[in-house]
Amino acid sequence: MTDEAITEALPASGASASKRGGSLRGAGPRRSSDFMSAAEFLDVTSNDPGTMRPGALRGSAQGRDLDSLAHTLFLRIYPVIAVVVLVTQIGIAWVNYRDQLHLYTERADLMAAITASSIARPEWSASPQVYHRQMEALTLDPAFRSATLRDANGTVLMTLGETRRARSFELISAQADLVAAPGTAPLGRLTLSISAEDLRSNAEKQGILAVVTSLILMLAFVLTLHANVRRHVLAPLKRLLLAMREVEHKRWVAVELDGAFRASNEIDVISQAFNRMVDGLRSGDEAKQLLQQLEQAHRKLADANHLVMESIGYARRIQSSVLPDRKALDGTGLEVAVLWEPLHLVGGDYFWLEEIDGLGILLVADCTGHGVPGAFLTLIVATALDRLIHERGLRDPAAILVALDGMVRTQLRQDGRGSESDDGLDCGLCIWDPEAAEIRFAGAGTALTTIDGAAVTRIRGAKRGIGYPRRTGEHIAIEESRLRVTPGMTLYLMTDGITDQMGGAGPTRRLLGHRGVMDILASHQQAPLSEQVAILDTSLAAYRAGEGRRDDMTLVAFRPKAMPRAM
Amino acid sequence: MDRIQISATDRSPQVDFDFAAGHLSLRGESYPEDAAAFFGPLLQALRAYLAIASETPIVFEVRLAYFNSSSAKALMNLFMPLEDAAEEGRRVTVEWRFLDGDETIEEAGEDFAADFSHARFELVREAA
Repeated sequence: MTDEAITEALPASGASASKRGGSLRGAGPRRSSDFMSAAEFLDVTSNDPGTMRPGALRGSAQGRDLDSLAHTLFLRIYPVIAVVVLVTQIGIAWVNYRDQLHLYTERADLMAAITASSIARPEWSASPQVYHRQMEALTLDPAFRSATLRDANGTVLMTLGETRRARSFELISAQADLVAAPGTAPLGRLTLSISAEDLRSNAEKQGILAVVTSLILMLAFVLTLHANVRRHVLAPLKRLLLAMREVEHKRWVAVELDGAFRASNEIDVISQAFNRMVDGLRSGDEAKQLLQQLEQAHRKLADANHLVMESIGYARRIQSSVLPDRKALDGTGLEVAVLWEPLHLVGGDYFWLEEIDGLGILLVADCTGHGVPGAFLTLIVATALDRLIHERGLRDPAAILVALDGMVRTQLRQDGRGSESDDGLDCGLCIWDPEAAEIRFAGAGTALTTIDGAAVTRIRGAKRGIGYPRRTGEHIAIEESRLRVTPGMTLYLMTDGITDQMGGAGPTRRLLGHRGVMDILASHQQAPLSEQVAILDTSLAAYRAGEGRRDDMTLVAFRPKAMPRAM
Repeated sequence: MDRIQISATDRSPQVDFDFAAGHLSLRGESYPEDAAAFFGPLLQALRAYLAIASETPIVFEVRLAYFNSSSAKALMNLFMPLEDAAEEGRRVTVEWRFLDGDETIEEAGEDFAADFSHARFELVREAA
């Protein structure tokens, strides 16, 4: 803060006070505007007391500008002190003067009486020269002015000193009758005048002293008052004001409590309260700002999320359009129901249904990953499968999977050409021959499960998936399984997203598993397949009981339609 | 070798690789968004550990309630150097722990077990 400003201001105000000779108005500091501009408070209305307008003082007294605090104190207190000092001094001088005057008068009376009694002889007036010496003795008094000796008739017999009339207030006169013996008529009269000039000059000196004292007192008072008010009141208040100004602009500064000069206790307390308030405001403001930033971040996230979701929604339309018509195998005598539910709108699960050359093709694939990356892989698989079936005309399920293995690996450059990816798919493929009522199945990581009455059979196929990079010397061994399909038998191809349902609580928390899924399906064998699949979906959600799904899930259920009686 | 301890999250298992004691463990569920990023450093540490000749038997305890297919591949990658070390004479045991009745994890363990011929692979059924 502006400690320099204060020390600069001090001599300036002192100079102005002495220059102006201690006049009441000039003595006060008049430069509040300097401080206001130093504190950047120019927008605060302030009366400039440099030219004291009527009412300006009252304004100052109301605290409209800070410098006038000293001014106001001065104007309110000084006259009282000055009058008291002046009156006291003058009273003392007056009492002194009166006492001295009284003493002088008594002295004159005494001197006159002594001299008169020494002169008083019968017939003294016959030879007044005899008493000249007694009269001369009176002149020994330094205040002596004149003495006159008269006989009983009032005739002046002797005069000493200056007889010209001085102003009466400067002289003290005493008279003594010359009485020879008590009870006799006076024989003459002695008149004595002594000067009171010293007394008067003393009294005057005292009066001047009183005035000078009060002036000196005023000067000392002004300087002390200003110095103290500035140091202990104005400077701390200024610091407080500057801090308030900063706080107004949301710069959280605290007031220094231990400046060059300690503030008065009251201001100290106010400053501490102010600092606490600033702390509170700062933390409140920081919280508010954090909240704003958070809201902003949240908005951005929401926007970004909306964009991504829109994009993925579009991707889902594309992926869905790649999937086959669920009724594609109606002509092959199969009843088919499909549950295809990616974890994130799109996913790595894929299925294919097609009737070709009187055969039904059913494929379920679970590519690595889910979401968009998984969906990319399904497109590769779809393209490869299309080429294998339509261009190369493969109808052998194991041959198709082996070929698919090579094509996906090549497509992903996982065939030793430096790719870092490690992707592939689990896949189960069934070729349905309606004529023979036979299913030819080949699997790689995906099983074919059948329910025939009470019997649940799982044909697991190869353990590993296909398409992955291969270690040198590793050979894929995919074998075909054939099974005769009898009426009442239902077959299921499913990805592990169906069986990997986490549910249960505490120690029983575990995956539902293949057996759990088959139990659900087995207990609804009489229902149409689409209903079975719907029940399974609901049951899985019930098992999870709020737990999130872990993976994309796909189930293709199929069974021979009930034979028309006409055949 | 510094011990590796990682707390479990919703999507990743608790890891405690106490190399000095020769005791490694994975517990919980494993389906991190990026399995390679999670398991990569573990695999590196394991390889570095196995490169140092030692007689300390190794026990790798796996008790996972669920793992996705990329975690399965990562597990396989962790098992391979252990099997190689066992082939070179190190005593290695993999304890595959699963809850009684959790056939998914049990079957997965059986699948893994088929790949081991030198290291001991124990399927440990735990009462629910």
